[in-house]
This record gives sequence, structure tokens and C-alpha cells, in this order.
Amino acid sequence: MSLVADVSTPAGRPRKPPPSPALLIGLAVVLAITLWAGLSIEFTLAPLFTDLTRGKVIIDQFLRPEWDFLLRPAVAAAFLETLYIAILASLGGCILALLLAMLASKVSAPNTLVYRITRGVLSLVRSLPDVAYGLLFVAVLGTGALPGVLALIMFNIGVAAKLTGETIDSIDPGPVEAVEAAGGNRLQRARWAIFPQVAPNYLSYCFYVFELNIRASLVLGIVGAGGIGTLLYTLLARFEYSQVSAIVVLLFVVVFILDQLSRALRRRLS
Amino acid sequence: MVIEFDGVGVTYPNGVRGLDGVSLTIPDGQFVVVVGLSGAGKSTLVRTINGLVPVTAGRLTVNGHALNGARRRELRALRARIGMIFQSFNLVTRTSVMNNVLMGRLHATGTPRSLLGWYSAADKETAFDALERVGIVEKAWQRASTLSGGQQQRVAIARALAQKPEIMLADEPVASLDPPTASAVMSDLQRINRELGITTVVNLHFLDLARRFGDRIIGMRAGKVVFDGTGEEADDSVFEDIYGRSLTAEDVIAKEPGALA
Repeated sequence: MSLVADVSTPAGRPRKPPPSPALLIGLAVVLAITLWAGLSIEFTLAPLFTDLTRGKVIIDQFLRPEWDFLLRPAVAAAFLETLYIAILASLGGCILALLLAMLASKVSAPNTLVYRITRGVLSLVRSLPDVAYGLLFVAVLGTGALPGVLALIMFNIGVAAKLTGETIDSIDPGPVEAVEAAGGNRLQRARWAIFPQVAPNYLSYCFYVFELNIRASLVLGIVGAGGIGTLLYTLLARFEYSQVSAIVVLLFVVVFILDQLSRALRRRLS
Repeated sequence: MVIEFDGVGVTYPNGVRGLDGVSLTIPDGQFVVVVGLSGAGKSTLVRTINGLVPVTAGRLTVNGHALNGARRRELRALRARIGMIFQSFNLVTRTSVMNNVLMGRLHATGTPRSLLGWYSAADKETAFDALERVGIVEKAWQRASTLSGGQQQRVAIARALAQKPEIMLADEPVASLDPPTASAVMSDLQRINRELGITTVVNLHFLDLARRFGDRIIGMRAGKVVFDGTGEEADDSVFEDIYGRSLTAEDVIAKEPGALA
């Protein structure tokens, strides 16, 4: 009995320590910053209730999609343009990303300087979102598919080169040493000792980038970079909400199918 | 090819002493086994010969070519003539055996062609020959990852042979293998040394394998050569001196009683 009698303070066992002051201070700081941010932008949920009825007309139109609109050739053309933009950008971006990734890893870079500079450039490239590149290229080249493709390529390099570079960091260095010992030069080491080790992951990143591109090219279309986004933007400007909703539904289906296809391929790779 | 160490020292960038005043001459065609505890400098010794570890003191020449301060291109040309095999095989396991063996022909293939994997017919023939020599030519088109450890080490030997080397270096080639496979792989190395006259330098820590296969045994401790003689001369007291402790069952690969006698 004496074994179970004193459960609350078992002899010789350490008591659970109180939460550390650092944790409590940290939580208080997070709470304070959240409150401060909310107050600064005068955050309120009120429009959700006061203005909801005003949107009723729009919602009504949205709920009656104009399915016939989807049969127009312009719609199919816009969808195809988005797909082409995504494919071209994925291809161009991934090839450039592989080359940059080789320079962005300590394992494959010729020296630390090249490695540091490449890492720096890549984080610079990543610091701009895809839409910013879209705006930039549309401003320079005018509207159309080309600025869309270029914007996505920049975006893809940022994502794929970083991921591939990190994969190269974690490869088995043994084969690299073996090719070096066999008198192979740096490019031969990259091609035969490094690339085969990262190939499945790299291909998987390429498909991932393609998935991102389908979605990103939509937003890019809104800033004038061609494809379905441009069409969507035009329809919104004309208040054609029934047509917009038909396109959004189709978009949802198309993106979902492409995502699943790409994901299935990626799963087979890993 | 003759390998000459003249007061060779290696100090790693982190200050660790790898080699300390090593002077040795390894004549053409000799089968040399280097023994010592881990950290004694065996691995460093072998890796200086093909320049994987740079020499920081003294002078090291291979067939008259100095390794100190050799340029990258010279170093590659020298490495092309020196095959190397490793403890962990260092194969690219995701690709075929053939692709692995052909890596031994990269030095003889122009960079643009080698990036495309466009090897000459003669190079492929060399690769097949090398695989035949280690008895696994039937695995040529299998993925390297499907092979057992012993088979992978044979592929690694074939890769080194495909270079048509004049020196073969082996850094603990059997440490990851079970005892029978280890003996078989050592026999392969010995046979290649005898048949092709390739100078062979092998690191081992099993004293029975060292005695059985080495024409010459070099004992190392703390970066220095503490023994240099034949297998017959290297009795247990010599090994106790090299290891700086009494021998244990861990020092032999054959686990039967009496192996230490």
C-alpha cells in the first residue's frame, strides 16, 4: 500500500519544472504584436455582416454559371495559352535551375566564392514574388505570353535551383571522390557522380514547379501576361460574373487534374 | 610506376597531423599492405599518392612526377594512371554497372562527349574486359544498387581497371565485407597485381589478411612509418608494436581459434 499511497509526491522523483520565463515572455510578445498589428489596420469583421447583402446580386450571378460560354473558341485558346506558358516556363526554368544548382552547392561549386555569389543571387531572385516579375516584364515587353514565360522562368529558378542545390548538398560524396580519383574533371563529376544521385528529386521538383506555374500563370494573366488570367480579368472588368464563375469552375477542374497527374508522377519518382 | 616518399608530411587545414616525415620507395609491381589503427595515417598515405590529399611537407613523386604543387591538369593526367577503390565502394548506385565502370574511361573521353555518355566502342570493350576480369560481366546492365557488397566492390575494381592503371590504390577495401567475401576480393586484387603487374597499395587493419597478401607490410602509427618489412617478418610482437597494444580477436578477420597464434 505504501507504494501507491503517496502518488502526488513520489519520493526521490523530480518534480515537473515550472514553464520557463522565456517562454511566457515570448508568448506575451507574440500576443502584443498581434494586437498592435490588428489595431494599426483597424481590423474589423463588420463588413462581413453589414455589406454582405450588397454582394447578393454578384453572388446570384456567380451561382448561375454560363456554361455555354466555355464552348467559345477564345476560352479554349486562353486555357491552352496558359498551359503552353506553364510548359515553356517549366522547361526553361528547370534547365537553368539545374545549372545554377550545381553552382549553388558546396559539393559541386568550383570554389567558395562562386558558391556564395550564386546563393546570394538566388535568394535575391526569390525575394521578388511571381507577380512582381510579371509586372516588370509586361512593363518592358508589353502584354502577351512572352513576359509571362519570362516571369515564370525567374520564379522557377528561385524555387528549383534552391531545392536542387540543397539536394546536392546532401548527396553521398563517395562517387564524386571516385570520379575525381579516376581523373575526371569537374563537369564530368557533375554529370556522372552528382546528377544521377539527384535526378529523381530534380525531376520531382520540375513537376512541382509545373504545378506552381499553372496556378501562377493565372495571376500573371491578370497583370497582362497572357493566358486564362487575362481573359478572367477582362470578364471581371465587364462585370460578367456568370461567365467568370463558369471559367473558375473549369479552372478548378483543370488545375485539379493537372495537379493529380503531376503528383502521381512525382510519387513514382521518389 | 615507382612511388617515392621523401620526408613527406601532411597537416590538414584543421591542424591535424596526417603524415609525419614519411620516406618510402615502392618499386614497380609490388603488392604493399599498409597496416595501423584507425587514425594512424594509412588513409592519408594512400590518398597522397593520387593527390586526393595534398602533401604539405617533403617531396612525393610518382614515376618521377612531383605531386607537390602539381597543376590541376597534370594531377588529372596522373590520376588517370592510378586506379582507386574505397571502403564504401563509392558507386553511383542509381545507375547501371556499365555506367559505373565507364567512369574509368572519363579521363580518355572529351568533355562534350562524356557529358552525353557517348563513349567509344573501344572504351565499352575495355569496360567489358574489366568486368570479365572480376567475373561479373553478366551484371553489366543491372542497376548497381541491386548488387551485394562483394559484387559492388568488384564493380569498383572493374571501374579502376577500366582506367588501365599502372598503380592501384585501395583504402580499406574489405572493411565493409564479410570474411569470405573479403578474402575473395583480396585474392582478386592479388591476381590483378600478378597478372597485369600493377603496383598495388592496400590499407588493411586485419593482420592475417595483411600477412597473407602483402609482399611487403608497412606499419604506421601516429603518422609515422614504424615498420617496413615482409609478411614473415611481421610477427605478432611487430603488430603489437604497430598497434601499441596487445592483439585482440578484432584484429583478425578469420574468427577461428588459434588465428592469433
